[in-house]
Amino acid sequence: MSLQIKILPPGNGSQRMALAGRLDTHSFEDLDEALAPLLDHRLHSLVLDLAGLEYISSAGIRSLFKARKALGGHGGKVLLVNPQAQIQKVLDVVKAVPMDEIFASTAEADAYLDAMQRKVLRADEDE
Amino acid sequence: MLIRLIVPGEIARVEDLNTSLEAVLARHGIDAGARADVRLIVEELAGNAIAYGGGDGRDMGQHELSVDISREADLLTLRFRDQGAPFDPLSAQTPDLEADILDRPLGGLGLYLIRRIAESMRYERIDDCNLLHVSLRVPAPENPR
Repeated sequence: MSLQIKILPPGNGSQRMALAGRLDTHSFEDLDEALAPLLDHRLHSLVLDLAGLEYISSAGIRSLFKARKALGGHGGKVLLVNPQAQIQKVLDVVKAVPMDEIFASTAEADAYLDAMQRKVLRADEDE
Repeated sequence: MLIRLIVPGEIARVEDLNTSLEAVLARHGIDAGARADVRLIVEELAGNAIAYGGGDGRDMGQHELSVDISREADLLTLRFRDQGAPFDPLSAQTPDLEADILDRPLGGLGLYLIRRIAESMRYERIDDCNLLHVSLRVPAPENPR
């Protein structure tokens, strides 16, 4: 099995998932299937921990983009955490993900989500 | 030459191909970064050849894929040969990177990745085969295992 997918407990409109192994033409459908039930309109952010992911190809990039598009429809975000060298290189080349959606650690991603949450709350108060 | 491998043109065999290449390259002290580049190049080229090798958007049917790899100084050269319809990947248009990735043509992204990673590329049509030479600059070999 080339891709391991770990779905972590959701919380606060955010879903965490850890990927390990290879996300490629042989495994992208596994990720698509695992993500499908999670990508509904209640989900505000999907945090993908890529620390264990060793390799991605264009097939994997397309899967990440499908998730991004599904959440983007209602203002949700896909955050990538701790991409390894090969993943970062491919992301850079295809400009697949804006730099502000890639984080070096889950702590940084959490801080970003907290800030986003506060902004939403403030906007609600202003109304 | 470090290795030559020939497999049936089927997606399931591409993984076997890459597993074997990976092992041989590791044994020859090629570092993990370059091995990942080779894996990417083989996966993308094989995927394209299998999906479109029949010409007119048809799949390639019963054909073989062949990969050989050689190293000279700091250049690793991979030769990818398929028996599909004539196709020069170097003539493919650069994808519009500003466009939504899902709206881009399926094959375009993979070829673009290869072109960006490779040091040089050369295409020829020879013996009714597509033959693509892809060179990568690699660090000096690690201590062979």
